[in-house]
Parts: sequence; structure tokens; C-alpha cells
Amino acid sequence: MIIVNYCVSIMLICLGLYAVTMKKDLIKVVIGLGIIDYGVNLFIVSVGFNDGGTAPIYTIAELLNGAASTYFVDPVPQALTLTSIVIGACVDAMALALVVMIYRKYHSINADDVRRIRG
Amino acid sequence: MFDYHHFPVIAVMILFLGAFLVEIFGAKNKAVRNTIAIVVAGISTVCIYALIKPVFFDGEVISYWMGNWAPVSGYAIGIGYEVDALNLFFALLTVTTFFLSGIYSIRYMEKDEHLGHYYTLFLMLSGGVLGLVLTGDVFNMFVMIEIMTFAAVALTAFRNRSFGALEGAFKYLALGSIGSSMTLAGIAVLYMSCHTLNMAQLSSILGSQPLNPTTVFAFALMFAGLAVKAFIVPFHTPAADAYMVAPTSVSMMFSGMVNKAGVYGMIRLCYTIFHAMDQSSLQILLVAFGCVTMFVGVTMALAQHDFKRLLAFHSISQIGYVITAIGLSTAVGLSAGLFHAMNHTLFKGLLFLTAGAVLKATGTTNLDKLGGLSKKMPLTTICFLVGAFSISGLPPFNGFASKWMVYQAAYAKAVTTGNFFYAVVTIVAVVVSVMTLASFIKVTQACFFGQCPDSLKDTKEVPFSMRLPMWILSVACLASGVFYNFVYEKVLYPAMVATLNTVKYIDSMMGAGYSAAAGVQNHLVDAPRLSVWDPISWLLLFVICLVAICLVVVLGDKTRGRLSDAEGEPQDGKYATFFGGEHALHSHVGGSDLFWGFKKDFKGYFNVVQGAHDGNVNTYASWVVIATAVIAIFMVIFVK
Repeated sequence: MIIVNYCVSIMLICLGLYAVTMKKDLIKVVIGLGIIDYGVNLFIVSVGFNDGGTAPIYTIAELLNGAASTYFVDPVPQALTLTSIVIGACVDAMALALVVMIYRKYHSINADDVRRIRG
Repeated sequence: MFDYHHFPVIAVMILFLGAFLVEIFGAKNKAVRNTIAIVVAGISTVCIYALIKPVFFDGEVISYWMGNWAPVSGYAIGIGYEVDALNLFFALLTVTTFFLSGIYSIRYMEKDEHLGHYYTLFLMLSGGVLGLVLTGDVFNMFVMIEIMTFAAVALTAFRNRSFGALEGAFKYLALGSIGSSMTLAGIAVLYMSCHTLNMAQLSSILGSQPLNPTTVFAFALMFAGLAVKAFIVPFHTPAADAYMVAPTSVSMMFSGMVNKAGVYGMIRLCYTIFHAMDQSSLQILLVAFGCVTMFVGVTMALAQHDFKRLLAFHSISQIGYVITAIGLSTAVGLSAGLFHAMNHTLFKGLLFLTAGAVLKATGTTNLDKLGGLSKKMPLTTICFLVGAFSISGLPPFNGFASKWMVYQAAYAKAVTTGNFFYAVVTIVAVVVSVMTLASFIKVTQACFFGQCPDSLKDTKEVPFSMRLPMWILSVACLASGVFYNFVYEKVLYPAMVATLNTVKYIDSMMGAGYSAAAGVQNHLVDAPRLSVWDPISWLLLFVICLVAICLVVVLGDKTRGRLSDAEGEPQDGKYATFFGGEHALHSHVGGSDLFWGFKKDFKGYFNVVQGAHDGNVNTYASWVVIATAVIAIFMVIFVK
């Protein structure tokens, strides 16, 4: 059921936002960012999905004159998701690297301690 | 010999190519590294400047399909670049900023380690922003946003041993990442209902029918995502931290082009893709955000004691002007917004460069520790004053011309719509301008005039290659203020018309007659040329007002006004000048405390606002989430 995908993706996004806004541990904040990303990715894949659809291998002419069944899985969202996953992985890596360096400098990864710039 | 249709793509690609070349060949050798960075940035700049004639003067819209994947039977299947006057306007701001910043970086960054990485990230950031303002594809725009954000985060943390760099970078990363995810979710929702990613085609689909709740929700998500990139209050918190801790050449790029990219995205989104700017609900949303942004920005700036953090809050405040002006959705308002965006790039770049010069020469940007630099660094001081006059809106500098247009546009809107809200907006804009001037008086006094501390006795003027970009920007500030008519006719008018002319945008990309077939029309077709205004006569009026105020002050009732007392202030003799007593002879109010009385009178407000910026990443993230929810609910209910 495609509706399950949408519900789960929205739940994931909300869960991620909860982690980012409520959790004091910076590692958990980074995990939250990752979960938001996964939620969005699941959503994009679901957008292009057709239950029982075929692979999208047709020529333009076949599509236009209706010779081919147009009931196929849209490939564009999958390409988007791949790009988004790659970017998400880089974000996580960079965020974790920053957290490691913050720990070395501040000796804490609690969000309440890492706030020397304020006001 | 050269086909200028390829220039936009070359300008973007050569920056990314340069980023790799610097990393491969320039890691060890300083000369190679600098040469590659400057040559690459220069080629990109020349490519974009070469487009001025065809796009601005001849009115052409350049469309370019990657790999020549042209649309098939009305469906865009490839990634397209489209350059109309609006794109080119922001591209010009971008290339000017990174080219000057590149020249400045050579000497400014010379003492830092790992400069190979610096230039790699520098070129990636430039390429990301340039790609974002030139692309005609929403997903490509998202990718460019991500490249821009993460290069910016890495550059923020570049001097990771200095105060707060890591912390600022982490907050920027967390909020930027939420913003990017929202943009991506918005793009996915949009794809769900329109089945295309090309901006021109999206525009024609969305313009031919009323918006439905799904597309409005997508609009709200993308709007919020781009607002994070444009640093509009309450999404502004990473900007204040990042501008402060990043190397100054990078702060200049942030305020000169990174937040302009967000502004560009919002203009494109609201005007071109969603055709929604003729709806009064969306106008009020944008103007309200703009007003809150400029007010919160400037009041936070008044309370700052760090030169660069102060400039950062001013940067936020000036973006408020731009957002207010484009939200008015009139021809005058739109040109005012674009003009102010351009002027902000020029004067804020200049101010950041002078802050960098001060940092390079003295090693600090803390206003409590600076003072009396005008004798040590006279040339920097002159540049700073030009920038300060421009941002405060003194004639004949450019800030005056554009702010005047903003007031004019807001007041005209109040008159034509009869809405009292826009009259209040005009007043807020004027008050914010006054407070901007006040806070720059404070900086001038604290940093360049006043007493020179002993620790700064042997300060030297900065080298020529750092002064050159400052001089260029100073001259540009003055020239665009004096020859405002030329700028308006040649640059702003084409950009404004291009923004309003959605039909031409669609037809150039998808083929002539495409928008007519889809039934899309331009909603806002009136684009009257502005009546001429004259900064010199306003300068005279300004002088007359000044004389009048001085007369009132000198001749007026001296006993008027409340008496203040020092209760609740720290009793360290800092304020004793005002209250008499033993310490009075040996104390003076520091330049950075010039407005302590003002702050004391409004301490209820200042305590709340400063307390709200508590530096906690959770707090800032929850602002973003709440504001996005508010925007989404508002839009789904009111935007049709």
C-alpha cells in the first residue's frame, strides 16, 4: 500500500524534527538530521512508485502514440533519491566530524554547553 | 568565435573544475594555488560580464539545454539553464563578490594553513551560488543549494582554532540541513502534482490553473527552505554566528552572495513559478517577515560588542528591506528591492573587508578593545566611512537611493491599497534606517575614532592587494548612488521587467507560443518607469533638518526629559561621567557603550530579544520548525 509509505515518511520527518529540537546530545541532533533526510527520501521514492508498474523502457514515439502501456514506475524520483542519499551521507559525515572537533575543544557535546556565541 | 550561449554553463563549470585543480596541484605551491584560483574566478567573471550586452541591452533570454536535451512534445526532459535579466542581475552580484573576495583572500589568508582546501571550498561555494542563480531546474537548484550550504559550513569552520568557529559551523549545518530537507520535500510535492522539474514548465502548469492545497503546501515548504538560505528572521540565527566566526573574506561572500541566492530563489518562486504575488495575503506575509527581519536585525546589532557580529546583524536587517520591497509586488517596490540587494552587496562587502583589515592589522574585532585606528589606518577608515554612510542611507551614497525607493514604494502601496499596515511598514523602515545610522556611529567611535589603546600603538595599514577591493567597492558605492538613473535604466529596469514577464521566461525555454497554448498570462503587467528623484536636493533638505535639530537642541528647553540613574548598572565607574562622583574624572564611556542609555530605557525589549538568542542549537531549530509550520498553515488557508 502506497499510503503506508507516505504515513511512515511523515512519521520519520516528525521524529527527526523532534530529535533536532528536543535532544541535547549533539550526536542525537545529527541522527535527527539523518532521519529527516531518510523520511524525505522515502517520500520521493513513493511519489514515483506505481503498484505493479513496469520498468520505464520505451521510446518517445511509443509513448506518444500509446503503443506502450504508460503504467510504469517513474524513474526521475529514483534518480533524485540517489542524489539526495549521497548528499545526506556527506552531511552526516561532516556533521559528525564537527561534533568530534567540538568535543575536543569544549570537552562536552551537550547543546547547553556548546553555546559560547549568544546574545 | 565564441558563442555566448555557452557562457553561463562555462562560468559555473570552470569554477568546479578549478576547485579540483587547486586541490590536486595547489596543495603545496602557493603561486600555483593563487594563480589557479584567481584565473578561474576571473574567467567566470568575464563570462558573466560578457552577457550584459545580449541580456540587458538587447533583451534576449538565453536558454541552454545540457547535452542538447531539448523538450520533446512540450515536456522538458533535460536540465536547462536559463538566463534572463533577473538571473543575470544576481549572477553579476555573485561574480563581483567572489572575484573581489578572491583578490582580498591572497594576502588576508596568507598566515593560515591548508590554503589548498580553502581555495577548493572557496571555488565550490562560488560555483554553487552561481549555479543556483543561473539554473532553470528546481532539482538542480536544490543540488546547488546543498553545495553552497556545505561549502559555506566548511569555510565557517575553516579557522577551527579560533573562538566559536566550530560551534557556529555546527549550528549553520544543522539549520541549513533542515532548510535543504524542506526544500527537497517541497520539490517532491511539486513533482507529485506537476510531473516536471523545469521551472519554465512548472510555471506554465501552475499559471494555467488556480493553486490547489497540494501545490500551496509545496510552495510553503520551498518558501521556508529558501528563507533559511536568505536568513530571514526567525531563520537568521546561523547567519549571525557564521558571519562572525568565518574568515572575513568568506563573511563577505556570505553577505554578498549566499543570502542573495536565497533572495533570488524567493523572487523566482513567488513571482515566476507560482504566479502568486498578485495575492494580497502573500504580499502581507512577505512584507511582515521583511519588517520583523529588519527590526530584529538592527536592534540586535545595537547590542553587539563584536565588529563582525554587529555587521552580521546589519546584514540580516538589510535583507529585511529587500524582502519588504519585493513583497510589495509593485514595479517600484521590485526595483527598490533589487537595487537594495545590489547596494547591500556593495556596501556590506566593503564593511566586511574593512572589518577584515582591522582584524588583520590588530588581531581583534572586539569593539571594547579597539579605538583610534583612524590615525594608524587612514585609508581603511575612509573606506569604512563610505560603507557606513551608504548602509545608513546618507545621500549621495547608494544606500540612500535604494532606501528612498523602498519608502516611496511602501508609501505608494499604502495610498493605493488604503491599507494602514503599509503605512506602518514605511515608518518601521525609516526608524530602522535611523537605528542603523546610530549603530554605525557607535562603531565609528569605538573602532576608528576615540582613544587608541596602548596595545594598538604599532598598528600598520594593510597591504595594497587588500585595499584594492575596498577601493573598488567604495567607488561603486558612490557611483551607484550618484548615477542612480543610469543604474536604474540599464540594470534595474530590465531585471524588474524580466521578473514580471513570466510569459517570455516560459516561451524562451519551452518554445514560442508555449505559454499561450497553456493559457498563462502575466499577472502584473504594469511596469512604469520611475519618476526621477534627485539625491542632491535631498542632501540639502538633510542639511536643513540637521541645522533645525541643532537649533532646537541649543535653544530648546534644557530641563526637559526624564532624569536617569545608575541603579541596576554595574558600579565600575564606566557610566560615572553621567552621574558625577569620585570616578567621574578618570572614566569615560567606551565607544561601544555609546547607546547604553537607549538600551537601558528599552531593556525590557532588549533583554527578551537577547535572551532569545541563547546559542542553543535546539532553540534555533525549534524556531525554524515553528516558523515553517506557521508559514505552511498561513499559506494553505490564505493563498489561493
